[in-house]
Amino acid sequence: MTSKGISNGQKILIVDDEHMSDLMRSVLRRLETDGFRPIVVAPEGPHVGGDDYEAQTLFAMEEERPAAVLLDVRFGEYDTDRFKGLSILKKIVERDSSMPVLMFTQYAQGPYRDTAVMASLGASSSVDFIDKLASPEEVVLRLRRLIGTAPETIRIGSLFEIDAENAAVYVIEDGKRDLIREMQGMKLEILSELAAAYFRSEGELVPFSRLERFSEGDDSRASLRVRIRELKVSLGNAVSRDFGATELIINIRNRGYRLVPPVE
Amino acid sequence: MNYGIDRTTAAIWIKFLNNRLLKYLRNGGAVLAAIGLVLVLLSPVIGEPISPGSLWWIEPVAYIGAGVFFLGAIAAFVSVQLASRRQEQNGGDRSWSRVTQDYFDTFAHDMGRPLRRILGKQREVRALLGETGEATPRMVTELLDEIEQQAPNFRLMIENVRVLVDLEDEHARPAVEPVDAAAVIRNIADRYLPIARERDLELVWWCEPAEFGLVYGDASALDHVVTNLVDNATKFAAEQIEIRLTRNDSHFLIRVWDDGLGIAESHLVHVFDRGWTPELSARREKQSSGLGLYIASSLSERCGGDLLVESKQSTGGDLNEHHAAFTLSLPLDNRPTAAR
Repeated sequence: MTSKGISNGQKILIVDDEHMSDLMRSVLRRLETDGFRPIVVAPEGPHVGGDDYEAQTLFAMEEERPAAVLLDVRFGEYDTDRFKGLSILKKIVERDSSMPVLMFTQYAQGPYRDTAVMASLGASSSVDFIDKLASPEEVVLRLRRLIGTAPETIRIGSLFEIDAENAAVYVIEDGKRDLIREMQGMKLEILSELAAAYFRSEGELVPFSRLERFSEGDDSRASLRVRIRELKVSLGNAVSRDFGATELIINIRNRGYRLVPPVE
Repeated sequence: MNYGIDRTTAAIWIKFLNNRLLKYLRNGGAVLAAIGLVLVLLSPVIGEPISPGSLWWIEPVAYIGAGVFFLGAIAAFVSVQLASRRQEQNGGDRSWSRVTQDYFDTFAHDMGRPLRRILGKQREVRALLGETGEATPRMVTELLDEIEQQAPNFRLMIENVRVLVDLEDEHARPAVEPVDAAAVIRNIADRYLPIARERDLELVWWCEPAEFGLVYGDASALDHVVTNLVDNATKFAAEQIEIRLTRNDSHFLIRVWDDGLGIAESHLVHVFDRGWTPELSARREKQSSGLGLYIASSLSERCGGDLLVESKQSTGGDLNEHHAAFTLSLPLDNRPTAAR
């Protein structure tokens, strides 16, 4: 997996009584790798119950000001705590209705989505559900989308970086950034479009219809093909490489183009 | 307890008599019974005074009163019985489904426990191997990937059973909520991307228009139907899977396309049958439960939509000309007209 963007040490509050499990450890590790700062809520005491988690979560929200909360639905084995996460969710949203909360649950699609708690949430609250068995990559992806901040820069593999705000593309060598001067105008716009789709979701393709404005003449596909070729040559020159048909920007049979991070 | 109305007869009557009719019958019966009772009670007054010679005079009123009373009482009694039987039947169904769901959730949670442990350990092993700084042998990575891939399988299996229970409940209605359809598809693509990569498949998705906007429907049903279609595609694709989200004036359409060998024309009518798998027609051992497409089709129907299949098998000439495509169409706005 490639790192996309830098999370600038955003704090993520982890509220799960199984935070010591291997499964959660893999999520914590992934968050750290991606530049987040996970803060685990872990009440201490001989008989820790759902209420203790609730109290400490609300305290930590004030204290740490996290960018998002990762919250489990089920706490402990007691029936009273079975859906404690939902009541914690309600409290969180009451305090800060804009707080992004990713519910860690096996009930992602189950009937409990329709509980009164969910119904009471306003349309503005950003709450999403993810299965506990989801891969750590999926968890981080969903969290990132929930937080919703567009990245200032999008990294493509470890070779390039696109700075959308300053309309610049850099090549990265030994940790240093060098501006690729050739990359401007239409080439930059095409690359930005492809990079934005890639950032949203790795499998997202940019259909021809969305790229047609960059083409000219009767045969828009052919014209686009030429532009993409030029784009790949410019990027290739910067790293002294020749990107083939199945590298960097690939044509998906009669559908559109897709960005794939280059292999080093 | 059986109050003399035999079960099948009751069931037939319940079907024919709606609640309002039962209410009229009950009230009418009660009124008749009351009139009858009054007649019986008043018969000494209305009729001639009792005397050995003219007993006949009092009897018609008493007889008629008693007849009316019994007729009314029977009508009221039967209607009350039918009404309670009907309620029992409805309530019974609902609670059966509810109780099953509750049991099932506990069961799924408990069954998931060992899987979560195995998955956790596998990820731990991966991390430890990564920390050594040495390249992990390919075989080991493949084994770990294999374990990792069981997670989505398990998730889908559990969800399929849950939806199956839910589909049995005639009274359950699909939820109607604002749904970001593109986000639902994106999440599914993210979930299946590692699996596709592992099988050397390219999975791509896109939506047109780019800003797709909200639709009104059942998010979990949408997620579930498309997940089943994508899961199916990963089993049969040769190199490529495409998910496309588009819309027209009234519906949004999700097409899941794969470049697999396709489905024979004679089999197309069976793909949505419960328990049907391609192995079945080839008399081979079944590789899957054959529930996925059946559930996808039933669930889309319940949501007011449609699931269609289209396929082409290669005719020998052009080997690349084969594919299978499932197109799900759902109303853009599934809210009742009054709520719009």
